[in-house]
Parts: sequence; C-alpha cells; structure tokens
Amino acid sequence: MIPKETVIEPAEQPKKQVTVSINGNPCRADEGENILTIADREKIPIPHLCFEPSLEPYGACRLCMVGLVRHGKTSMETACTLRAKEGLTILTDTPEIVKYRSVLFELYLAQTPKSTVIKEMAARYGVTKTRFLRRVDTDDPLGGSCVLCGLCVRVCNELMGAGAINFINRGPYTVVNTPYAEPSRDCLGCGACAAICPTHAVRIEDLDGERVLHSWSETKVPLARCEACGKYFAPAALEKSVLSRIEPPLRDDLAGLCPVCRAKKLAKKEILAATGGDLNHA
Amino acid sequence: MDEKTLEEIIARYDSPSGKVLGILGDIQRSEGYIPRETLEMLSVKIDVRISQLYSIVTFYSFFSTKPVGEHVITVCMGTACHVKGAVGILETLEKMLDLPGDASEDGKFSVTTKDNRFTVEIARCFGACSMAPVLQIDGILYGYATPASLPAILGKYGWKAS
Amino acid sequence: MTGQKAFDRAAGGAAGMKKLFPGKPRIAVGLATCGIAVGGQRVYDRLKEIIGKTGAGICLTKTGCIGYCREEPLVNIAIPGQPLVILHRVTEEDAEGIVGAVRKGTVPHEKALCRVPSWDHMTGTVITYGTGFDEIPLYAEIPFFKHQKKVILRNAGFINPEDIEEYLAVGGYAAAEQALTRMDPESIISEVEKSGLRGRGGAGFPTGTKWRITKDAPGKEKYIICNADEGDPGAYMNRNEMESDPHMLIEGMIIGAYAMGAKEGLIYIRAEYPLAIKRLRLAIDQARSCGFLGKNIFAVDEGRACGLHGKNIFGTGFDFDIRIATGAGAFVCGESTALVASIEGRTGRPHPRPPRLTDPGGGLWGIPSDLNNVETWCNIPVIIRNGSGWYAKIGAEKNTGTKVFSLVGKVDRVGLVEVPLGTTLDTIVFDIGNGGGGGKKVKAVQTGGPSGGCIPVRLFDTPVNYESLNEVGSIMGSGGIVVMDEDTDMVDIARYFINFATGESCGKCVPCREGLRHTLILLNRIMAGKGSAKDLETLALLADTIKNTSLCGLGQSAPNPVLTTLAYFREEYDALVKP
Repeated sequence: MIPKETVIEPAEQPKKQVTVSINGNPCRADEGENILTIADREKIPIPHLCFEPSLEPYGACRLCMVGLVRHGKTSMETACTLRAKEGLTILTDTPEIVKYRSVLFELYLAQTPKSTVIKEMAARYGVTKTRFLRRVDTDDPLGGSCVLCGLCVRVCNELMGAGAINFINRGPYTVVNTPYAEPSRDCLGCGACAAICPTHAVRIEDLDGERVLHSWSETKVPLARCEACGKYFAPAALEKSVLSRIEPPLRDDLAGLCPVCRAKKLAKKEILAATGGDLNHA
Repeated sequence: MDEKTLEEIIARYDSPSGKVLGILGDIQRSEGYIPRETLEMLSVKIDVRISQLYSIVTFYSFFSTKPVGEHVITVCMGTACHVKGAVGILETLEKMLDLPGDASEDGKFSVTTKDNRFTVEIARCFGACSMAPVLQIDGILYGYATPASLPAILGKYGWKAS
Repeated sequence: MTGQKAFDRAAGGAAGMKKLFPGKPRIAVGLATCGIAVGGQRVYDRLKEIIGKTGAGICLTKTGCIGYCREEPLVNIAIPGQPLVILHRVTEEDAEGIVGAVRKGTVPHEKALCRVPSWDHMTGTVITYGTGFDEIPLYAEIPFFKHQKKVILRNAGFINPEDIEEYLAVGGYAAAEQALTRMDPESIISEVEKSGLRGRGGAGFPTGTKWRITKDAPGKEKYIICNADEGDPGAYMNRNEMESDPHMLIEGMIIGAYAMGAKEGLIYIRAEYPLAIKRLRLAIDQARSCGFLGKNIFAVDEGRACGLHGKNIFGTGFDFDIRIATGAGAFVCGESTALVASIEGRTGRPHPRPPRLTDPGGGLWGIPSDLNNVETWCNIPVIIRNGSGWYAKIGAEKNTGTKVFSLVGKVDRVGLVEVPLGTTLDTIVFDIGNGGGGGKKVKAVQTGGPSGGCIPVRLFDTPVNYESLNEVGSIMGSGGIVVMDEDTDMVDIARYFINFATGESCGKCVPCREGLRHTLILLNRIMAGKGSAKDLETLALLADTIKNTSLCGLGQSAPNPVLTTLAYFREEYDALVKP
C-alpha cells in the first residue's frame, strides 16, 4: 500500500523540455520539475532544510524563498512549491529576500546554537550571529540540533510505514519523539530518520547486538544474526518488514542471510548451474 | 474505560471523516482525560499507530493526558474576557486554590489542587463574550464573573476558605 | 411507513404556523448559550412550573437569541391580536408576574423592552402579530436595533430552533425546493455570483467564483464543507446562527451541494459549542425525516410521516447528506488545509499550496472541496429566494449584503449586530453600541480577531468592508469587534494577541513558531520596563518577517496587532522603553 504523500515517478516518458530563468540565467528542465531541484542541480544556492524530492513539498523551513517575477511584479514564493514551465522567471537574492532570510537564519541560530550545519549554512548567507535568545537544552537527545523540519517523521510514517515517532505537542512546545517518551514497539531500526536528518541530530548506535536509538527514548531493536556467518547485519524487525513486502517473496534459503552471504549463495548457485556442478571450474 | 464502552464509542462513527477526533472527544468527555490504556486499545481497534494518536492527543487543547480532579474549572481567556479582567479571575483562583505556578512543558494549562478537588484549565473562547469574563465549572457557564463573586460560585462545589 | 403521500412543504409550514400562532398566548424564552448562562433555563423551568400549576392556557416554548446579549435573559410574549413583546433581564422571580399578566391578556410593562407589530422573515413571509401596547417602545425605536438590518438573523429569537415546522412556517426550505426542482446548477451559481456575496469567514473571496471553481474541478466527486470552527475569541456570530436557526445553514448547504455536485457535506464545528452541535444534530435528523437530506431528496413517491421522508431530495435523483465533525481546541484548524487534516484524523498542521482545496489531490480525502464559513452558507437561501438583484442592493458596491458582528468588550451595549456592509465603525460602536461602558472614553476597536489589527477611534469613519479595513491595517475577519477604552493598555493588547498566537501556532514553520516566541519575549521585556528603542526596531522587523514568510494565514496575520499598535499607539510603546 503506497502511503498517500509518496510521489511516484511514472514509467519513463519523454518529458517536455522547458527553459526557466534563474537570476537571469536560462536553465533547461523538464516541464513540471521542482524549481528547488533545478537550482540544486545548477548549483544555484538556495538554502533549504525540509525539502525531500521523494515527498510532497512540506513548507516548514521557509528558507527557500525566491522572487517570482510575473507581469513586471515580483512576489515571494517558496521555491519548493514552484514547478518549471516555459518562461518561469525567478530571482534568488532580491533585497527583500536577503532581509527576511537573514532574520530567519538568526531565528535558526537561536533555536539550534550548537548545530554546525546551521552555523555553516547561515554563514554562507552572511549571518554569523543572532540577537535572539539562544535555546539552552543540556539534556536534549537530539543534541540541540533539531530544527523540526519534519523529515524524520515523514520518512518514518509515510515512506517506511513504521510510525515509531511523530510530532508531540504544538507551537513552541513541539518536539519529535516516541509516544509517552518510551521505547517504541513499532520502530524497525531502519535508521532512515538519521539518514534524512539535515542537521545530523538523530543519534543511533549499534551496541551488543541491538540498534539503540538514543534520540527516540533509547528504543532498542534487536539485530538479526546471519544464519551463515553469524554477524549482525540488520535490525530483525526491519528484515521482517522488508521480507513481507517483497513481491515475489524471497526464496526461503536466502532469507536469514546477510547480504554478503546471500550474494555468495546466489553466485554459488549460478556457477553450479553454469558449470554443471563444478564449483572449481576455471 | 472498558473495552465494550470503547467499542460502542467507535461504532458511533461510520465514516472516516471526523472519526478520530470524534472518538477521542467522546473518550475525553467520558473520562475527563485520555487514559493511556484506552489510547493503546484504540490504536489496535482502529488500526492507527499509537504515535499518530499520541501526536493528535498532545496537539489539540481539548485532550488531556492527565487525569483531572473532581471539578473542572475552565477560565475563558478570550479577547473580550481578557479585556474585562480574565487574568484577575485566574490569579484569584490560583490564590484561592493554592495552585502551583503553571510551568507547563507541553503548553497545556491544566493544574490540579493537591486534594484532587479542583482542576483549573483555560479555554480560548466559549462564545459567551457578551457576559465576559466567563468561567465554566463542570460544563456550566458562569458569566460576569468577578474576583469577589468567585467564593460563592466555588462554594457550590464544596470549596471552603482556608 | 404509511401509504402514498405527496411531499407537501406547505403542510409542514401550516403545522409550524399553528405552533407560532396557537390561538392562545405563547411565551418563548431565549435559550442560546448566553441566555442559558445568565439564567434563561431557570426562567424557563420556573415558567413551566407556574403554567403547569395554574393550568393557564399558555404555550411555553424556547427560542434562539435576537442578539441583544446585554439584556438577557430575554423572553418574548405573543398574545393573539397583540404585538409581540420582548421582555428583558428576566429572572426566575419575574415568572409569577409574567404568567399573571399574560393570563389577564397583558404583559408586565416594567420588564418590556420593545414591541414588534409585524416581522419580515425575509423569505417571503411577513408575520403580523397585531396592534396595541402603544406605550411600549417599538422595536425600530430601540437604539440598539434601529440601525440594524436583520437578514441572517431574521428568525433568531422568533422561532424555536428545535422545530423544523416553525422554520417551514416562515418560508424555510422554499429556496432549496426552488433550487433543486426549478433551477439548474449553472443558474444557481450565476445567482450567487451576481449577488456579490463574499466569504464571511474573513478573506472575502467571492463565493460564486469559489463555487464555480469547485464545480468545474475535474472529477465527478466533490465535497462541501462548512467552517464552523469560529476560533476568533470575541466572535460568536456563527454560534448564534447555528443555535438560533440551524436549518438556515442546512438549507444553504443543500443548495450549494446541488450546485457543485457534492454528495456529502461536512460541518466542522468547534468542541466548545456543545449546544450548537446538539441543535445541528437535531436539525439534521429532522431534515432527514422530512426528505431534505438523504437519498433522492424531496422524493414525491414514497410515503412517510410529515409528507416528507428520506430518499431522493426533492424528487430530483439527487442524494446529499450532512455529517458533523468536531474540532478539539485548535485555532489553527480554522485554516482550510488544517481543517481538512483535522477531519481526516490528523493534526492540524497546514500544508503549502498548491494544491488548493479545490484542486484534485488538494481537498478532503484528495477530492476537490468547497469550504465556506457558516455565515456564507446562511446567506444562500435568502439570495436564491429573493434573487441576486435584491441582495446586491443591500450593502455597498463590491461589498454586498449584511454581516453579523459581535460587539463586545468595553462597550455599553454588548451583543450581536447585523448591519449592511459599508456601515461605519462610528455607527456600530457609538450609535448601536452607545460608546464606552461605565462612561469611559472609547480608544480603539480590534476587528478580525487575533488576525486583525487595532483601529484607533479617530479612524472610526472607516466603513466596515473588506478593502477599507485592510487599508487601515486590519481585516474583517469573521466579525468580532472588541472595543477598548481609555484604561486599556495597547501594548498589553499586543502582548495578549502574540501570546494567543504563540499558543495556537501549530509549530510547523520557523517564522511563526520561533518568530512569535521571540516576539513574546521582546514584548514581555518591554512591558517589564527593560526594553530599549532598539528592541522596538527588532519588534517591527520580526513582525514584518513573520507576516511575509509564514506558511499559513495564522502566522501571516499574527503580527497584525503588533503592527497596528506600533503604527497607531507608538506613544504607549515609547513610554515603556529607554531611548
């Protein structure tokens, strides 16, 4: 079952090519392509934190503001919600955008004073200090680096389908965690949350045969051991979830093996088939 | 809340539109808060992740994860009530009931007296603005409230000056 | 199920008329939420007791609220042949005297507010009560009522909101029948467009245009939604509309559903309105049993109770029903994408547009949906019944029709006020409201709830319409008007609203979540006397940033109270800061 917000690319059809203008530079793109994706590809700097191509635009970070020029007037829009069409014209550094973006970065620096990612990004856009009160949180399981971009929550719920973590409370009291701040029974241990986090705030560690998600209330997911070599290779819950979703299902003799041993077994089988039973065939 | 009651509540909602908030609202009204076991049971029965349900319960002001006292006093802090002195009502109540300060971590204002007699919460507007300031006790609205009228009103619910 | 019986709206109306004019005195107690809150229920119970004991031939019923909230509890008395008399500030102790007087064919004059010789219910029904009681002032002479024009609140305080037959008696459901049996969707939408009706939730988007966009959206399925969240503190117009005349809303939605092709309508109503929820549920049940909601509405063929029942509304082959979805205490759920998320069982965090609600993939369950405020829906029956031309003559150009406002706060006459758009603030606050209560001087009004701004008294010649209010930095909003007087601290007001917005922010986007938080810290510092002139600059810059970069309307409008108080009451800020 594909979750509602996932964007699925249809089978390869030639897309209409259009030209958009970014800061006066013409850029070729597929019609309907996301402007932020185009800017990233063309190496035109537009800051962003909450954008993820495989998910619908989210609109939380507000950093990707650009000026959309239409009928001689420029209006501020988020680049992540703009799609390429012929003649689309945008400017990335109007005085208005520079002004508001700087204030936003000051807010970010106050929110996550410890985050190097934020400090570097802000510096790239000329902001190195903030006049706002810095948040001090000595015991934050997210290392004082969470910008509440929502990517971990969306990846966990909408892409992985696990739903171990979610937003809790609202407004300035919002945090991301497991319900009741207790270890989750739904966590697969996949680590997608850590992989997607733009500020590397999520702390996960493999320890003594368990994947420990320090940031999510010390949730522990046992790791599965390879039946052949005995090494821990994946969280058991994740393995179970993936195996149940593969269509057609994985052969019984391959399940329970780590990727290395699986490859070896498959190769062995191929060689045996090709050589008529002689593994040492040159 | 026992399983049968929960199932009866769930059965009231035959469409997904408005179902989750409707069920949670019925639980809140019935129990005065959302007990954890009930939420876990609900998660299984309607096949919605517990993290999603907990996210909803903590997001909306109407739901509480903490049990409430015998009587629930809700002070309206809407604009008309504010302009007519709602802050004074709240402060007077805090003194009368000897309530601890409201250092809330979740943004929800809900404080209960030590003897579990009274819980004080705030609401954003009951829509009874013409009789500001307004407070509600156990579902009954009291308009034109003043700090001086509070002892008599609370007295009806067993409050005594100490 | 009885045998064949043709649908007969007139029969239902006649039955309702007999209830309004039972041939003996009828006493109706105003029982909307505020009436009940100040003792209306006790008045009703006491009257019931006394009438029962004395065996008096008096009809006792309940009614909604005519809007003069300061004077509640209100009771109206209709003695056959005499004008309807409205009594005010009625207490339990007055009950005995009331029954006594009515038995003698008169009313207790000392409790009388005004008399109503006849009343125009706007949907083709003018009720004549009678003449007499000349010593009691006429309704039209009462300053609070004199400048008002009751179109939306035409039935409020006159009919029993829990009885569909009384609604039928005053012309109810005639517009729906006309629309579904004698008009087609295109002509309905055209009428709404020509009427000039604009969204009464605050944005003022032309309703007819929105309906057309929804109707034309791809796909056969559509939803219509009523925004009954009414989150603005100080605003309770929608509450009264639903508690005093719920069928008006249902009728409007039936017409809209037919015009746009929707099979299901949702009413998203805040949990803090239990009486409105109860009356709406009852009204929906009654409408169903009369065949106005359900399958094949207004069916001519199948037999049923009051000549009307279920299947195929109006014999048109059109199915439509209404479902209620309750909110749970989140102001942000008045925002359209958050409202839809809430109905879908999710947290109320708005999402960026595109897609809009009317786009495929954007509405409820991904289906193109039309969302309108309660009051917008309530305007529909009267537009269809009396025609767009009639409606467009009310109000001003580009701002047609009337609007109900809640006039509250430090004003003398508190209540619900319905005036044509274009009426000035002066008229509303001073002529209708009688200025500041307790002899205090009025200083400002705050319009549009927390999304609006404060307007100083020197600008009260501003007409109340969408554009003019925007020009002075505020908005119409849903209609709340909170009056502030010389004792009101405007910086405190700004802080109150920022505190409100901070608590109601969904927390998704940084400018709103973090920006408002720091704005509050700044304001607290300023109010504690620890602020500097530089802080005022930062305050203005923050407000500007939040307004221009937030994801949704809550953040975009949250700084308005700060921006307007800085513009109009700068001296109050300057007095608090060190240079």
